[in-house]
Amino acid sequence: MQTKIFFVATLFILLSSRIFSQEILQWRGTERTGIYHETNLLKSWPEAGPALIWECDSIGNGYGSPIITASTIYVNGEIDTISYLYALTRSGKFLWKAPIGKEWTLNYPGTRNTPTCVNDMIYVTAGLGTVACLDAKSGKKVWSVDMATDFHAPMTRFGFSESLVINGDDVYCCPGGADTNIVALDRFTGKIRWICKGLGQMTSYCSPALIRLAERDILVTFTKSAMLGIDTRDGSLLWSHTQDSEGDVHINTPLYENGFIYYITGDGNGSVKLKLSADGREITEVWRNGACDNTMGGFIKLNDYIFTASYGRRYWYTLDANTAQIVDSAKFDKGVTIYADSMLYCYNEKGQLGLFKPTGPKMVPAGSFKVTRGTKAHYAHPVICQGVMYVRHGQSLMAYDVKRR
Amino acid sequence: MQMKTRSSLVFLFFTLVPGLFAQQLTLNQILDSYYKAGNFDKLQKVNSIIMTGNIVQQDLMPVKIVRVRPDKYMMQFDVADLTAYQVYDGQTAWMTTPWTGKAAPQVMPPERATDMKNRADIDGILFNWKEKGHSLELAGKDTVDGRIAYKIKVIRKDGGIEYNIIDTATFMLQKRISFRKAGGKEVTIENFYRDYRKVDGIPFAFIVETNNAGRINEIQLETVELNRTVDLKSFTMPEKK
Repeated sequence: MQTKIFFVATLFILLSSRIFSQEILQWRGTERTGIYHETNLLKSWPEAGPALIWECDSIGNGYGSPIITASTIYVNGEIDTISYLYALTRSGKFLWKAPIGKEWTLNYPGTRNTPTCVNDMIYVTAGLGTVACLDAKSGKKVWSVDMATDFHAPMTRFGFSESLVINGDDVYCCPGGADTNIVALDRFTGKIRWICKGLGQMTSYCSPALIRLAERDILVTFTKSAMLGIDTRDGSLLWSHTQDSEGDVHINTPLYENGFIYYITGDGNGSVKLKLSADGREITEVWRNGACDNTMGGFIKLNDYIFTASYGRRYWYTLDANTAQIVDSAKFDKGVTIYADSMLYCYNEKGQLGLFKPTGPKMVPAGSFKVTRGTKAHYAHPVICQGVMYVRHGQSLMAYDVKRR
Repeated sequence: MQMKTRSSLVFLFFTLVPGLFAQQLTLNQILDSYYKAGNFDKLQKVNSIIMTGNIVQQDLMPVKIVRVRPDKYMMQFDVADLTAYQVYDGQTAWMTTPWTGKAAPQVMPPERATDMKNRADIDGILFNWKEKGHSLELAGKDTVDGRIAYKIKVIRKDGGIEYNIIDTATFMLQKRISFRKAGGKEVTIENFYRDYRKVDGIPFAFIVETNNAGRINEIQLETVELNRTVDLKSFTMPEKK
């Protein structure tokens, strides 16, 4: 009897922690690494690609990815210069759309960011600087701030593009103002919790990383010519890492793993590995390879290898994470990289989606197809959830069946 | 070693010999072979050509090129994901440049209009050249990608000069050299034609690399469609609002 009670109690604790755990659905998966913890997915694709389950072709213009909850898909889209948050059913049916703010339309017109969802709250940005929190069920705005007017954010070249980071009760945004460089807001009210002056440089379109250490959490993001590490307790700048070029586009989310930070830019130092001290107060450069760049396609680190696509040259390459040397490459134009169930998913700018098996440093092809639906550039990062691959191409969101049967 | 030397000699023989014989052909003989290789008999029956693909530079720009006999041309392409047009409607050449913030179409300057008119010619400048008012002369030989080719000098009706360079073995157009005034200086533009594939028996270069005074881009075609119905109204310059 005692054993039975113990078993039930253990089960209750396990289930409760799972049910009530605060899972954050966000840009490039729950850890912002591009790795989706899926199983039982196809290991090769037929010639025509995986089966298209549905397409929703009216989500507005944009390049941001969707996030998928148990019942709802959220994705941003622009119509007539206004940014909207769209809510769709898991079968792609329109539920509602809610206005967020003015969107960027001067170049690459459309929404840029991926929503962040915590329980029943959604956090989004719009291209001209709105940061908003919306009710996930109704789309009703809970609060919003305007980075341009409230935080004196200078206008950018490509519009505000950040996918917001949530940490406990905080949400962080990067207006890039001289005195209001990075701001932490109370995620329930939108009130300012702290302001970091950073280096006073304009924003650089980065969707930040969050490093959790024993002593402190560190927000890692880029402004115009430096990567910054900020203590999330009070917004103090812990360290910065300067970019050698004049470029201001550092979009990719840095990666933290086992005491090291990795980042790849297309407009700065290229690929870089830094050692982070145990207390998070110092960084030391381990290596850099200026020839290995990537602007916005992200990268995947698997054991000793980093897989990404070049920006300057049109191919995918494998970087040795220990030596900084390119150890292999694959001709597949250039684009976005994500990973799930031991396979790399590469979505190139020509609209081809390729499946590759990473075998040591090699990328072994396992099928590809062309995304022929949708509009404009193929920049959005695919998302995989419960055996379905979601691909956004401009005004269209497509769901492909990638489950192995 | 001997095997390698023999292979090299065989390679050289097949590479250079067509070039040696090339000298013996007259301009008209070269052109006749060029028309035959290009299946110009069949091309005459083509009323419209629609090409789609990408302009590849640092960024990728989707492109669609439409030609309709006798003189209509449209290039639709995306810059910074904004769709732009360069069009010749048979009389007027016009363009849009949305990346400059200007939405309204603009008439092209005369020099660019001439280029647009030439682009509208489905048959190219070497076909019916006398009727079109151009002058041609054989200007010796050149090499393109290591292959010997005939160099044909074209003095266009508008007075401009260009060179069309034709492979001695395949008689396909390999390169075009033209000149354009830019910023008060004359710049040289080189077009390289590669990856010929047949569509309904007619060969088309699916890769065209352009070197415009050191700036290099490549048009990589994905589809070529012939004799599709095209709405001619799409070539007309929209009125300014």
